[in-house]
Amino acid sequence: MPAISAHDPLAELLPRIASGDRDALQQLYEASSAKLFGVCLRILSDREESEDVLQEVYLTIWRRADRFDAGRASVMTWISTIARNRAIDRLRARGPLAYADQIDEMEIEDGAPRAEALLEASQDSAALNQCLSELDERTAGVIRTAFYEGVTYEALAKRLDTPLGTVKSWIRRGLLKLKGCLER
Amino acid sequence: MSDIGPEMPEDDALAAEHALGVLTARERAAAELRMAREPDFAAKVEAWRERLAPLAEGVAPVAAPAGLWPRIVRSLPANDNQVGVLRRMKFWRGATMGSLSLAVASLAMVAVLATRPPQVISPVPAPMMNARLMTNGGQPLFLAAYDPERKSVLVASLVPPGTDPNHSHELWLIPADGKPRSLGLVEPGASKSMPISDEMAAMATEGASMAVTVEPAGGSLLDGPSGPVAAVGKLARI
Repeated sequence: MPAISAHDPLAELLPRIASGDRDALQQLYEASSAKLFGVCLRILSDREESEDVLQEVYLTIWRRADRFDAGRASVMTWISTIARNRAIDRLRARGPLAYADQIDEMEIEDGAPRAEALLEASQDSAALNQCLSELDERTAGVIRTAFYEGVTYEALAKRLDTPLGTVKSWIRRGLLKLKGCLER
Repeated sequence: MSDIGPEMPEDDALAAEHALGVLTARERAAAELRMAREPDFAAKVEAWRERLAPLAEGVAPVAAPAGLWPRIVRSLPANDNQVGVLRRMKFWRGATMGSLSLAVASLAMVAVLATRPPQVISPVPAPMMNARLMTNGGQPLFLAAYDPERKSVLVASLVPPGTDPNHSHELWLIPADGKPRSLGLVEPGASKSMPISDEMAAMATEGASMAVTVEPAGGSLLDGPSGPVAAVGKLARI
């Protein structure tokens, strides 16, 4: 596991939020909402739905702040996970054909992180990107697309025009290699 | 495929797939329930979320619209963090009779209640209330509504039908005294109306908690819950 930074400036907000401090929630919102809105938009490609999800995310943080364990994850990791999960649930709720209207608009990731993202990337991020780059391009691209867009195996298979079992096998093998690489 | 590499054990693969987000709605709900039931599996998913989390740094931030924060503030319930409920549920899972800690909890609750203004009994019908029961990961698994006029609880399971047929999902009402009362079983994917007794109706007040636990088929054999808590929520006015 990557070491958790000794100083997480957002961590002190969580106990305050858990005790019902709305100012603390607002501080967290100001520090993180643009990031989380970006995560939701990426998955849902719909502003209105992303706004609804973002509202649910901060409501969840408000209710669940006491469950946050600073020893296990950074605040940003924790709340990004909540945002991804909520956005993916919303995407699934659209039904099994939710991917259909995205095929034309979105391409499979080319596997290259944006330059500015690399500049601000943390050590964990650098390690993960390094390990992804050790995978073959196609596998790394599919894993990135799955993460960023929250689509199902079925949707990925459809987009890539490849049998579902093959896509599943690419991803499973890729993830296994990724795990091995990160543990080195 | 020619590059036959080593295979991941099925549990690890499922945990990784859940963290990555490639599972269908049905598989996601099943995975969330498993996380509630099996700490080892939950730890695997958490570890994969941690591994993949740095990818989120690669997403470009987009300023949220100015009106969203006021909307969030308006939707915030009074401080209703759920730690107390989970502790009480854990307590009741282990104990069948009252103990010192329960007495202390009850006293604390009495103190809270004593500071509230007295309830005035009025002929105006009490308002409908609902609760969204969520997992630790914030995923809603059950929706419940209480209709005071009909004295019945309506509950809908968002768990896909056919999930985990070897266990039952039991719905509990946890009023101010902290002791969970069973409202009955809820089949995955089903919605039903559960009539409740006058005694229970008096306990279904705003702020009362509701929880669903995963129990042996047929429900808990104890006076209280015996299995892990799958989802928790609080009754609030609609």
